[in-house]
Amino acid sequence: MNDGRSIDLTVATLEGEAAQQIAPSREEIEPPPVSVAGGYYGRPYLKPPVWIWSIPTYFFVGGIAGSAMTMGWAAQMFGGREFRRFEQHCRWVGALGGCVGTALLIHDLGRKERFLFMLRVFRPTSAMSVGSWVLATATPLSAGSALLARADRPLRQLGDTAGAAAGLLGMPLAAYTAVLLANTAVPLWRESRRSLPLLFAASSMASMASLFELMSLSNREQAVVRRFGTIGRAGELAASLQLEREAGPAVKPLRQGAPGTLWNAASVLTASSLVVSLLPGKGRKKRILSGVLGLLGSACVRFAVFHAGKASARAASPEPELPRFPE
Amino acid sequence: MAECHPVGFQWVMEAKRRGATIIHVDPRFTRTSAVADIHVPIRAGSDIVFLGAIIRYIIEERRWFHDYVVHYTNAATIVTEEFQDTEDLDGLFSGWNPEKHKYAAEFWQYQDAHVTPAAGHREQESAETRAAHVTRIGAIQTDPTLEHPRCVFQILKRHFARYTPEMVEETCGIPRELFLKVAQTLCDNSGRERTSAFCYSVGWTQHSVGVQYIRTAAIIQQLLGNMGRPGGGIMALRGHASIQGSTDIPTLYDLLPGYLPMPRAAGSGTFQKYVEQNRSASAWWSEFPKYIVSLLKAYFGDHATRENDWCYDDLPRLTGDHSHMTTYAAMADGSVKGYFVMGENPVVGSVNGGFQRAAMRKLDWLVVRDFQMTETAEFWKTARNDASNWAITEKIGSEQINTEVFFFPAAAHTEKDGSFTNTQRLLQWHHKAIEPLGDCRSELHFIYHLGRRLKELYGSSEDPKDRPVRQLTWDYPVRGAIQEPEAEAVLREINGFSVADGKPVEDYTKLRDDGSTACGCWIYAGCYRNGVNQTARRKPAPEQNWVAPEWGWAWPQNRRLLYNRASADPEGRPWSERKRYVWWDEEKRSWTGYDQPDFIKDRPPSYRPPEDAQGIETISGIDPFLMNADGKSWIFVPTGLRDGPLPTHYEPIESLVKNPFYGQQSNPARMEWHRRENPYHRPWNDPAFPYLLTTYRLTEHHTAGGMSRWLSWLAELQPEMFCEVSPELAAEKGLTHGGWATITTARATIETRVLITARIKPLRIRGRLIHQIGLPYHWGSLGLVRGDSTNELIAFSGDPNVSIQETKALTGNIEPGRRIVRAGERPYA
Amino acid sequence: MPKGFFTDTTVCIGCKACEVACKQWNQLPEDGLHFSGMSYDNSIELGASTWRHVAFIERPVALSGQNAGDLSWLMLSDVCKHCRRAGCLEACPTGAIIRTEFDTVYVQPDICNGCGYCVVGCPFGVIDRLQSDGRAWKCTMCYDRQKDGMEPACAKACPTDSILFGEVSDLREKAAGRLAQLHERGVKEAYLYGADKHSQPGTEGLNAFFLLVDKPEIYNLPREPEAPSIRAKQSWLSLAVASAGMLAAAIGAVMSSRGRGAR
Repeated sequence: MNDGRSIDLTVATLEGEAAQQIAPSREEIEPPPVSVAGGYYGRPYLKPPVWIWSIPTYFFVGGIAGSAMTMGWAAQMFGGREFRRFEQHCRWVGALGGCVGTALLIHDLGRKERFLFMLRVFRPTSAMSVGSWVLATATPLSAGSALLARADRPLRQLGDTAGAAAGLLGMPLAAYTAVLLANTAVPLWRESRRSLPLLFAASSMASMASLFELMSLSNREQAVVRRFGTIGRAGELAASLQLEREAGPAVKPLRQGAPGTLWNAASVLTASSLVVSLLPGKGRKKRILSGVLGLLGSACVRFAVFHAGKASARAASPEPELPRFPE
Repeated sequence: MAECHPVGFQWVMEAKRRGATIIHVDPRFTRTSAVADIHVPIRAGSDIVFLGAIIRYIIEERRWFHDYVVHYTNAATIVTEEFQDTEDLDGLFSGWNPEKHKYAAEFWQYQDAHVTPAAGHREQESAETRAAHVTRIGAIQTDPTLEHPRCVFQILKRHFARYTPEMVEETCGIPRELFLKVAQTLCDNSGRERTSAFCYSVGWTQHSVGVQYIRTAAIIQQLLGNMGRPGGGIMALRGHASIQGSTDIPTLYDLLPGYLPMPRAAGSGTFQKYVEQNRSASAWWSEFPKYIVSLLKAYFGDHATRENDWCYDDLPRLTGDHSHMTTYAAMADGSVKGYFVMGENPVVGSVNGGFQRAAMRKLDWLVVRDFQMTETAEFWKTARNDASNWAITEKIGSEQINTEVFFFPAAAHTEKDGSFTNTQRLLQWHHKAIEPLGDCRSELHFIYHLGRRLKELYGSSEDPKDRPVRQLTWDYPVRGAIQEPEAEAVLREINGFSVADGKPVEDYTKLRDDGSTACGCWIYAGCYRNGVNQTARRKPAPEQNWVAPEWGWAWPQNRRLLYNRASADPEGRPWSERKRYVWWDEEKRSWTGYDQPDFIKDRPPSYRPPEDAQGIETISGIDPFLMNADGKSWIFVPTGLRDGPLPTHYEPIESLVKNPFYGQQSNPARMEWHRRENPYHRPWNDPAFPYLLTTYRLTEHHTAGGMSRWLSWLAELQPEMFCEVSPELAAEKGLTHGGWATITTARATIETRVLITARIKPLRIRGRLIHQIGLPYHWGSLGLVRGDSTNELIAFSGDPNVSIQETKALTGNIEPGRRIVRAGERPYA
Repeated sequence: MPKGFFTDTTVCIGCKACEVACKQWNQLPEDGLHFSGMSYDNSIELGASTWRHVAFIERPVALSGQNAGDLSWLMLSDVCKHCRRAGCLEACPTGAIIRTEFDTVYVQPDICNGCGYCVVGCPFGVIDRLQSDGRAWKCTMCYDRQKDGMEPACAKACPTDSILFGEVSDLREKAAGRLAQLHERGVKEAYLYGADKHSQPGTEGLNAFFLLVDKPEIYNLPREPEAPSIRAKQSWLSLAVASAGMLAAAIGAVMSSRGRGAR
């Protein structure tokens, strides 16, 4: 039996801790230079994140959902009758985003059938645990509030309460993923832990506004979205500058290779989106252009940060220097 | 030692923790060097210069342990006038016969007294020679002042006079200061209060002067008083588990159990003659008849009687050299028809694999017993691809090979009862954990049932040639479904018993030459004392003294330290309190100590043999080395060695340099096989082969790989064959790290991955940079991990004393890139 | 009582018995048959199927007190550190990673759903998710053996006692003694890595700590490892600020866009 174990199953039983592991095969590495001064043959001391595309996509989708829920609540509280439709849109986007996000998260799990184990415990030290609970609570609340909007009074009130709760949870939902990244050993994420939540929050606002720009909205609704989006886009640009400053030397992976390109593209797209949205005129095409640019910009931000983080972990080895003894 | 004996190395590390200084002498910087205090990189094949220079240092600096040397070694003994040294004869001793390529040993004997060797080649000295000299121990002449020009000490001094630190630097590539540091450290750590130990692994034996390497170390230990004392000695780290056991109860062709020589067809025709040849007139080997008679009684039981010389004629006779390489050469010549290979993979593990495979093609049948279908078992598979040996150009397909191969899967040690004997002569019993799987069987099972069937086959034969088979006792009880013989029954027989009542003998002193005792191996007598398997004892260390006599059982007589009489001074007092081990108790009139005293228990230190003493009566109270005929340890070996009484520096058969000491380039008595398939390079400076190759093992693999290349957890740790080269050589030859290199000798070409490392350092020898290439030898064409076998590169050659091939120093070439795959050859997957 | 390892690299001979014993006991598969060119290290790093890894460092600097030219060969048997404050455990959202009765950090394979958060939570790059079965794996400090009162397989197999297993307080004492001995013998560069909270606040000390003779990076160990949660407050605070901003922006946007007469 070639399972990498050399165990004769006619006499042995596979009961060891790792007996169920299926033989992996490490890829052959390029032999490092004879002597790599300092460090260990240029090997990273960290493991790169194992996450796939669905995770940054979730950052993006979850951000839209969170912002939408919050906006829905703001509209519910301060918008009055004229924003009812908008409020419902927000609730639905929140609910739908939550569902899609959940699906994306499950898709990345190593053991998809165990996704419910996410709610097995509540662990405040784990941003992922907190986030899972937020997502798992906010999404049905948002959906519930949307569904109950047309019901009779007591139920509608219940819906509004749910909408308010979803709105409150929407804020962390929009940007907890930044905290999740910041609370890792990956140097880039870790070193930008203050600006990353600002970036993700702003980006989620921008992306939510951008999405709504693609819809047909009333003038007032357009105004809300534009104002919200402007703050989000401006915030996103400001936060990315702040992040570059905060991360210090760890920012390197964000400035080179594919993540660097994404990162630069994000700024350009977001800035263009901001400019387009602020141009005079109320044409639908203008809004659609601004919306598309904004969505792309926000998505690029998430993917750039995500992939730069992977590169950052892979590059986590000390600068080459001559070995010397510690003080 | 850390590389090849990591488990035993724990004691070295334990010693280091307690402050011991570890000196490691090796061409490479290994895992041992990594934890040593001093690493001495040496040119492979120059060890006698290094060690000889230490001897000279000891003498010049007057650092020898005077009382020990004078009383316990043969330093004071006067040697015959016929002796001439290599200094006089340009690298030869007296007695060299250029026609026969042999020494006549009587030229090295003591003045007026001929002694029998305790081991080695006893047949060298014929019975006729002995008859011509009266061997009386009293006839040995000594000069305790060590000043007689023909006393061993003065001979030694002259012999090594040119082995100076300067010569060490120029010959071994070891800086003078480093050499002096080693010599000084060693001397400072020897004497009454302190002792030093030498540890060597099998690599030391794999030279054309291998035995003399160890002899040189032995001389140092004698001069410094490090033998027979706690913390001293020379540890031979054997190549496998229980290799010690396989020489005690030998798988060697020329020995019977307990180091009794195998009878020879020429010269040892009758029992009387055989005994005469091997019995010493003095000291312990005078007991020889008791051991051989008891052995024959164990072999042939009631058939063995005084009248028929204890069935001595049932023993086979040697007709010459039947060592491994000689047998394979004979096989290639078609005179060996059948062959058993048990737990060995010679195609990978032995030298010139291509030639060995070609030889096996001439066999009618081959039996292989192993855990895996090794390269030896499947030698016929690679036959067509057998292009490793340049001289063998014939392309033979499997269908053209008529050798019938019988493969018997072997049981592992966990699947059978038995004992291991380690390098300390310690027998440790292991119990079967599970039944062997499928058709796997123990060696004991195989041999027992083979013998049983042969006996059945010849049971009714009247033919005299079948008599030995009929008369052999073969009555081990069997157990279980697979009819496994009882291993303890074999141990009981090895222990020996009284023929009358079958009671186990207590120890070897109870053996008799009158047929009243039977014993399978006299040195093991006592391992089943009182009917108890002493080797299975496992009393924890804290419950006994620090010598731990109740853990397992050590031969002889459960003695943990051989010749331990030497741990006490001539008066029988410990040399120092710190090194107290065995001493004379005047009140009890007995030797006593922490260990079994290795001496006649009640013989006082003051005893001196009378003039006409015989046998063990000749052992005086100050003769700790009682196996030697004169009771002294031999700095100068008057008989028993084939290449000289003193170690002399000879270059390896293939070397980069000319012998800087003598006109004689390499060991004159070395073994060589001059034939087409086994070409040699020029003795020195062969322009085609400008680099020095040395081979070795890695911790991760076991010898020829049968136990490791098929095991995933070991295979992954060293998955590919590689060579180790210095950055300097890599630059010179354009080798790339992690890339491929091709290594060539006159025999073969192999390819390896390249590991460039500063652990291999070029050495400066007489102004010339000598590059050494390190080659592990574990890989072969089968298994989970595959690669070329290093040993394909190496020629048949041998040390004259023990027929061990020279694999640790030879010449070759290296070029970047993979080897050219010859037509029809299948590269490794 | 907390159990742990004290790995004394000065007596490691790189025999890899620990690696083999670990794989054998835990029935881990072989994970690659490639020549790495990294000295004698072909295991390369700790991972989902390699829970003990011996690093080999060929250093162009002699060890103090060693007379072996300008060269030393350092070996270290690396393992999960079982941090007092474990990044992986704090990150685990499912509760699969627990602290056992031996104060070790253990991944329950029947709970782990392979979210991968522990992989980036570990400041040492120890734990990894196995591609083929989607779960996170690392050294268990032989939880099963410990439950039966046996020491972990690697420590049991280590011939030179480079790997010592025991109660952490005892190990610390032994380590301090060994360190003092080495310093006395002139090996001034020797120091303890992660022995306690004081010397490594980021992990609050390691249950599996080391005696090293060169800076940690040489062994591929981080100089100042930290459980990521140590600085979590800053990011949560930042999230709170961002949330407030978002809420304000949303309310502001709505309020400023309302028509007269609303509400």
